[in-house]
Amino acid sequence: MNISDMILLAIANLFRTKLRTTLTLLGVVIGIGALSSMVSLGTGMQKNLTDAFLENDLFTSYRVTTKNIDLEQISGGNFENMEGFLDKPQTPLTDSIIKIISNIEGVQYAFADIQFPVQLSLEGYDIKLNAQGLPATSGQYKPYTNLLAGTFFQTDNEKSVVVKWETFRKMGLVPLDKDNLVVFSREDSLKGFKVVDPDSLLGKELVIKSKTLNPLSLAISTMGGKVPDEKTAFREVETRLHICGILKKSGSFAGQQFRGGIYIPMETADDIPKLGFSSIWDLFDEEEVDSYGSVYVRAKDIQDMEIIRKDIEALGLHTFSIADQLEEIKKTFLIIDSLFGAIGSVALIIAALGIINTMLMSILERTREIGIMKAIGGSEREIKFIFFVEAGFIGFIGAIFGLGLGWLVTRLANIILNARFPEEGIPVDLFYFPWWLLAGATAFSIFISLAAGLYPAIRAARIDPVKALRHD
Amino acid sequence: MILRVHNLCKSYYRGKLEIPALKNVSLDISEGEFVSIIGKSGSGKSTLLNLIGGLDTASSGNIFFRDQDISAMSRKELARHRRFSVGMIFQSFNLIPSRTALENISLALTFGGVPRRQRKARAEDVIRSVGLGHRIDHKPTELSGGEAQRIAIARALANNPAMVLADEPTGNLDSVTSSEIIDLLQELNQKKGISILMITHDQETASRISNKVIRLVDGSIANEQGKTSMP
Repeated sequence: MNISDMILLAIANLFRTKLRTTLTLLGVVIGIGALSSMVSLGTGMQKNLTDAFLENDLFTSYRVTTKNIDLEQISGGNFENMEGFLDKPQTPLTDSIIKIISNIEGVQYAFADIQFPVQLSLEGYDIKLNAQGLPATSGQYKPYTNLLAGTFFQTDNEKSVVVKWETFRKMGLVPLDKDNLVVFSREDSLKGFKVVDPDSLLGKELVIKSKTLNPLSLAISTMGGKVPDEKTAFREVETRLHICGILKKSGSFAGQQFRGGIYIPMETADDIPKLGFSSIWDLFDEEEVDSYGSVYVRAKDIQDMEIIRKDIEALGLHTFSIADQLEEIKKTFLIIDSLFGAIGSVALIIAALGIINTMLMSILERTREIGIMKAIGGSEREIKFIFFVEAGFIGFIGAIFGLGLGWLVTRLANIILNARFPEEGIPVDLFYFPWWLLAGATAFSIFISLAAGLYPAIRAARIDPVKALRHD
Repeated sequence: MILRVHNLCKSYYRGKLEIPALKNVSLDISEGEFVSIIGKSGSGKSTLLNLIGGLDTASSGNIFFRDQDISAMSRKELARHRRFSVGMIFQSFNLIPSRTALENISLALTFGGVPRRQRKARAEDVIRSVGLGHRIDHKPTELSGGEAQRIAIARALANNPAMVLADEPTGNLDSVTSSEIIDLLQELNQKKGISILMITHDQETASRISNKVIRLVDGSIANEQGKTSMP
């Protein structure tokens, strides 16, 4: 008897006891359903996070800052590398330093991180957010390649602006995106949100109001011994820029938490009078060195990251990359996945007990038949294999339907969770079924089922034919 | 010589108590012979047949089937012996009730390694050879006793064995059907030259059709009478 005959015979045997097979199968389906949906939640969370990193180009970029005293390190009594720290002058992040960094091998480009709070006005809609200066070359890289309409600015000094989809959304204007259809909540509709054609927004004038210190008024009031009031101490400046592009809604929920809400060409941004986050320090700066708070560095390749880090740190600067945290994040997710997997596995182990029970019942019922099979020439190996295949087949079919069930359950859970916790009106996929989960769950189900079938199969094979033929 | 049994002993154990079923049984069967075994129930007839059929293993002694010692065979080799060398027929037919006549025979052919495509035709042929071409798709419960036993005979013949072992094949049948089954076995013996070893209660029939009748009493051969010695 060849293997395909044995497999067919095993499947035919399962079909003979449809109800019992179905019930046993149901156990496996629920087990695999629970296992796969639990693990897919873990992988979904991980995917959302790493996707957000990828989308924002965080794996190939560093944020460079001037060297800080690591308070945590010192409080731990560790003064390593700290010798003479206070005596040494710190390397300021000036344009010349940025140029040096740009020339490090493996660096794609580096630019000063200019971010400042502004007030936007567009045809009567007002909003406060952070503006970010970017070099025009950024337009070639993620996440700035993902445009809904228009183009990224072409030069560093043009009077144009790229706006995030989310920024319009905050203003109550929802640019229509076929890939990301927005579901309005009742609240949204009441607020008067409306859908607009993204192309109609292009070329429109965006008024950016920024505030800066008014040194003259400051000087006058100080000299007069008066505390400068807000109106006179600050000067409001209006800059008019044309919308040249709209960035698509970021697919991941963490996406919009990175960087500002609008992007302005580097030099244009530089020219806008503003109060940066660290501007207050400028007031104390005696030397008028034009330095930046941080510098963004992008590597050509992820492999160059380590060399670039060493070169930058050799300049006396501090680097930070989210990629450094990736290993830790991966470890955390491994623990989460294992925990979820273990919970799901309990259901599968119960299902395995069901398989053992069903198989043993089946052997009892088929004792005489097994005796007949032996009498007409069935070998122990063949009978063992037939029962083994029966168990394995339950595992395989159970895995397929179980994954289907898991998928359905996660779809449903996703819909419910998204309805309960709306995030910018766009559904977020909390669950993820990567190929390894599909393959792994199937293999695991077959393995568990075969293990469950092992003892019954051996028992079936060892049945004494003489006794079995007398069996009623 | 197709079968040579030499000093065969078989004991069963109930706890530590030894219950002998066969005691030093020796017999020879030539190619093409029809041999009957008679004896009271509990005399060890079925035990002897099961040992020859490779369903059970002897306590001591030897069984040579065409010079191969069955008593020394591994379980795997015994399965081969049951598959190809002998075909067994039982009093209670032992057909698988959930399978049709054709499927019962196909199963034997499947174990015999007959390719799937040839199985159906071969099974049909063998069913027709026992005169039940019209019962191919019937399940055992839809067959009369005589028909079921014919299907069982067809199954025993499926893999072309050299010997058929029949354990009271007419025990559950009425006298008319019984004689039909006996005729069929005799036909197989005479036309196809298949050796037959049959257990029966019917001494008269045994004497009439057999080349040799063996009487078992309490696990030992009481006497062996050849047809030639009959008056």
